[in-house]
Amino acid sequence: MGVQKDRVKFNVGGRRFETTATTLAIAGRNSLFGAMFDENWDMDPTAAADEHFIDRNPDCFAVLLDLLRTGELYIPPNIPERLLHREALFYGLSDHLRAAKWGPFDGNTLRLSRSIPGRAPGDGTAIRAGPDGGCCVAHGSMVHVYDWAMEEHPPMNLDYQRVNDAVWVDSNSIVLSACERLGRDDGGMGLFNASTSELKYRFHVTHDDQVKSFTGGALSLNYSDYRLFASCRGRSNEYGVGVWDQVTGKQVDFFYEPPGWSLGEADKLQWLHGANCLMVATLFPRKDNCYISLLDFRDKERMVWAWSDAGAPVGDERRVRDAIAMEECGSICVVNEYEDLGFMDLRRSGGAMRWRSRSRLMKGKMPDEPCYPKLALHQGQLFSSMNDTISVFCGPDWVLTSRLRNGYGGSICDFSIGGDRLFALHSEENVFDVWETRPPPFM
Amino acid sequence: MSSGPKKRNFQIEAFKHKVVVDPKYAEKTWKVLEDAIREIYNHNASGLSFEELYRNAYNMVLHKFGERLYSGLVSTMTLHLQSMSKSIEAAQGASFLDELNTKWNDHNKALQMIRDILMYMDRTFIPSTHKTPVHELGLNLWRDNVIHNSNIQSRLLNTILELIQRERTGEVINRGLMRNIIKMLMDLGPSVYQEDFEKSFLQVSADFYRAESQEYIECCDCADYLKKAERRLNEEIDRVSHYLDTKTETKITNVVEKEMIANHKLRLIHMENSGLVKMLLDDKFEDLARMYNLFHRVSIGLSTIRDVMTSHIRDTGKQLVTDPEKSKNPVEFVETLLEKRDKYDKIISSAFSNDKTFQNALSSSFEYFINLNPRSPEYISLFVDDKLRKGLKGVKDDDVELILDKVMILFRYLQEKDVFEKYYKQHLAKRLLSGKTVSDDAERSLIVKLKTECGYQFTSKLEGMFTDMKTSQDTMQGFYAACGAELGNGPTLVVQVLTTGSWPTQSTNTCNLPVELSTLCEKFRSYYLGTHTGRRLTWQTNMGTADLRATFGEVHKYELNVSTYQMCVLMLFNNTEHLSYKEIEQATEIPSSDLKRCLQSLACVKGKNVLRKEPMSKDIGEDDVFSVNDSFTSKLRKVKIGTVVAQKESEPEKQETRQRVEEDRKPQIEAAIVRIMKSRRVLDHNNIIAEVTKQLQSRFLANPGEIKKRIESLIERDFLERDNEDRRLYRYLA
Repeated sequence: MGVQKDRVKFNVGGRRFETTATTLAIAGRNSLFGAMFDENWDMDPTAAADEHFIDRNPDCFAVLLDLLRTGELYIPPNIPERLLHREALFYGLSDHLRAAKWGPFDGNTLRLSRSIPGRAPGDGTAIRAGPDGGCCVAHGSMVHVYDWAMEEHPPMNLDYQRVNDAVWVDSNSIVLSACERLGRDDGGMGLFNASTSELKYRFHVTHDDQVKSFTGGALSLNYSDYRLFASCRGRSNEYGVGVWDQVTGKQVDFFYEPPGWSLGEADKLQWLHGANCLMVATLFPRKDNCYISLLDFRDKERMVWAWSDAGAPVGDERRVRDAIAMEECGSICVVNEYEDLGFMDLRRSGGAMRWRSRSRLMKGKMPDEPCYPKLALHQGQLFSSMNDTISVFCGPDWVLTSRLRNGYGGSICDFSIGGDRLFALHSEENVFDVWETRPPPFM
Repeated sequence: MSSGPKKRNFQIEAFKHKVVVDPKYAEKTWKVLEDAIREIYNHNASGLSFEELYRNAYNMVLHKFGERLYSGLVSTMTLHLQSMSKSIEAAQGASFLDELNTKWNDHNKALQMIRDILMYMDRTFIPSTHKTPVHELGLNLWRDNVIHNSNIQSRLLNTILELIQRERTGEVINRGLMRNIIKMLMDLGPSVYQEDFEKSFLQVSADFYRAESQEYIECCDCADYLKKAERRLNEEIDRVSHYLDTKTETKITNVVEKEMIANHKLRLIHMENSGLVKMLLDDKFEDLARMYNLFHRVSIGLSTIRDVMTSHIRDTGKQLVTDPEKSKNPVEFVETLLEKRDKYDKIISSAFSNDKTFQNALSSSFEYFINLNPRSPEYISLFVDDKLRKGLKGVKDDDVELILDKVMILFRYLQEKDVFEKYYKQHLAKRLLSGKTVSDDAERSLIVKLKTECGYQFTSKLEGMFTDMKTSQDTMQGFYAACGAELGNGPTLVVQVLTTGSWPTQSTNTCNLPVELSTLCEKFRSYYLGTHTGRRLTWQTNMGTADLRATFGEVHKYELNVSTYQMCVLMLFNNTEHLSYKEIEQATEIPSSDLKRCLQSLACVKGKNVLRKEPMSKDIGEDDVFSVNDSFTSKLRKVKIGTVVAQKESEPEKQETRQRVEEDRKPQIEAAIVRIMKSRRVLDHNNIIAEVTKQLQSRFLANPGEIKKRIESLIERDFLERDNEDRRLYRYLA
């Protein structure tokens, strides 16, 4: 073979590199290399004499070039990851970098990738995974936002009121719900730019054509018709679930709380696509009793499905601490403080709870500062947090298949799955863990 | 690239150092980029350094001048587009589209390069500020500044529509250019394509085709019109595939279909001397197929064709079966039916793409008119009889099957299948007994077909007849083996032993056989009863045949093939010269109607008149006197003397058959009622009628009055009872 025809020479920050047009093609059209060697620019990458100068860090270029050559990421210890991310962003190789870092989510192959210490005082309220690998953490009145590279963005707040919930509308927008400040129009709900933390929009609630201040509680989204749901507490008769259009930001509906029930103080909202219903769950200890119901906003006269433990004997250890609807199985799964799972049939209102005692004698083993169990569902896998451990259940009978545990940071007060990652927020040390599936091996 | 890059690099370095201090940093950097964008629009990009521009844009975003960069891009691109717009406006006549296309290509290329430079902004700044990405921005600006420019928008639309109009009138236009222009509208978003082009295009097309179809329908016949419509439809489909959005295809074809077909549907079908009926009459397969395919596209188009076809078949079919001329010859009658069916079968298979609904319509039409003539079952059986007697001689097996299959199709249309069975049995009996069957295979094949169609019960008797024929052969062999020696040189007897019930019973008296034969018959009787105890034999002399050797005038010797009756008559003349009608009747005891027919065929048929009659006349009188015709001659040594028989049944015979059919139906109806009631226990009158009719449908159409009579008869015999409270209810008594 003679001279290889597709050889390309670079001078990056004074260091010479040689590669091939084939390797550079891996970067794709939407990268600096793709644009640079597009025919429009009339630059022959293989013109033997020319070397292409790029005024950037040569060490990082070496790592990224290697990534293009092998598809594998190897970061030498002397290069900070942050620096590499910045360079990848310059070259338009962020997607390549991200894909090389972690693979498709599977609860049974998760590895602890890193733990991020927080600076905020007090207990964490909630952690929410973003759609492309980032997350946000609510602590008191502040919400800290991290991108996929775990770079922290400016924190956001809503009039410095206590934040109750947060939800990612898209990879660049977050909605926060916060307590109201009586007598002022502060608090409520706001839409924030995830990268700049700017408040873009404030959601309002109107009752009888009058704008009222309110406390925003649990949040949920319906992605198919761009609806935003929030449990709202206002004056005595203004409790219920509000609905907003994500595009216009206007309130489009309100489901008032029926007497003897709880909607406005709900801990959890979940939109069910198949049933076209919203699940609303108010749980102990926010109220003395638990109330779980399904709302169909086309018929606001009644609740489609409802369950409550009101009237059960006091001291019943089976107190529901979290609930999640599983549409594929037509049931609602709940968990008590001993991490026993219970199931209820969604298709029949007022059905009995089937507890599945995992006969773990948790009593006496409880840590000093217990955290209430939480549930999550992701692609047919059920996740449940208890103290410092997250359990993974699979299959139609929900068999326990994996345990995720990090000895450091104490009990897990909240966790969230999204962007092919699982984030677990610890209560004691104000630390959160990032769990991800390693990219598949090459051999 | 020797000294150039170094110089520039030096400058960039200078920028970098001044970043913090130089308040004009952003403006200076933007100036570089703006100049580059101008060069790009001026096709002068070769001198630009991509790396430098990319870094400049990157730096602007990095140093929080993203907003400046973006707004600068919008204003400079708008400026360039406005100047492009001017030059497009200035283009004269035909060059307008060319200029638009050229400028569009320029803009696209420039846009791509600008996006390359601003890639970093596109990736980071734009999503986080929720702005429009560069590429989309470029398209939007093009749309607003060029396409929606008041001097361009309507001119563009009119130019495109005019070109399409010219293409419709046969001119050749530049399809490549059209494709590029339309592609541009599509790239600008579906709403631009629809609002700025498609809507008007469909409107103009509708007007055009409305006018054209009006013109065509006045001066063309149906076939021509359909050809033109088909061509227009294909042209539009072709146009879409060449330069329009594929989604437009259904829309524009809908327009053509509505204007050219749906709006003139009835007028086309009923067009005098060229419409559907005419096409059917003339077997215009191609035109019919075209009509089918075009009407297929419009709602209730096919059902209209089907309805017209159905009523046409019904009308012509009705004429056919009720035409007394046709009824004279049953074979021809059935052949015409078959021809008609073949004709429509072919039309449906070759022109109507074997459409099931059309086949059903054809079947129901035939069913309708075939049953209009009560003699259809008889005629179909006669047709089969004719075919199996002689018609199939020398025909290949496959073709035989083909004919039989066709007959079966007609058979399926019959409502009174039991009547057909009656006639078929009679005709088959005649064929078997007279040995006229041409092909045993064909006979059996038809029986198998009937069996698959109507079940075992339907053909069990017919099969019994074949069995009888076979056993008779064996019996005769046995008879001659046992008694052959003592019979000597007397006449030969062939007996067919027929099982009562399997054969059409004919209650006739046995005639007096000549003495030579009666002794022979007695011998057979004792042989048969000796081997089969407990049976009864009666002679059916009306069904037999005989071969006689006769000598006329001492010279001419012939072999005569005659019926048993004729044989009895002729044998009388062995002993005497003259016999009167009365004497013959007395001696033979042949029933008078049969005797008259038999004498007629012996004495009155020219060329076969072995007897002479006094007086000479066509008909046989009670006082006629007969003698041997000594002067009888014939070219053949073997003379077959047929019996004058009506092939078709005469009126009283028909009545008789009818009556027998009715009698046979009674037990079947009763059996059906009992079967139904046994499973249902209680049922009201109307439901019984419905279920019985349904159960018997495959054999005949039961008459409700008759069913009612049968129910009453069953009540009398304590099979059923009426409910005490509700008189319409019947109960089954176990």
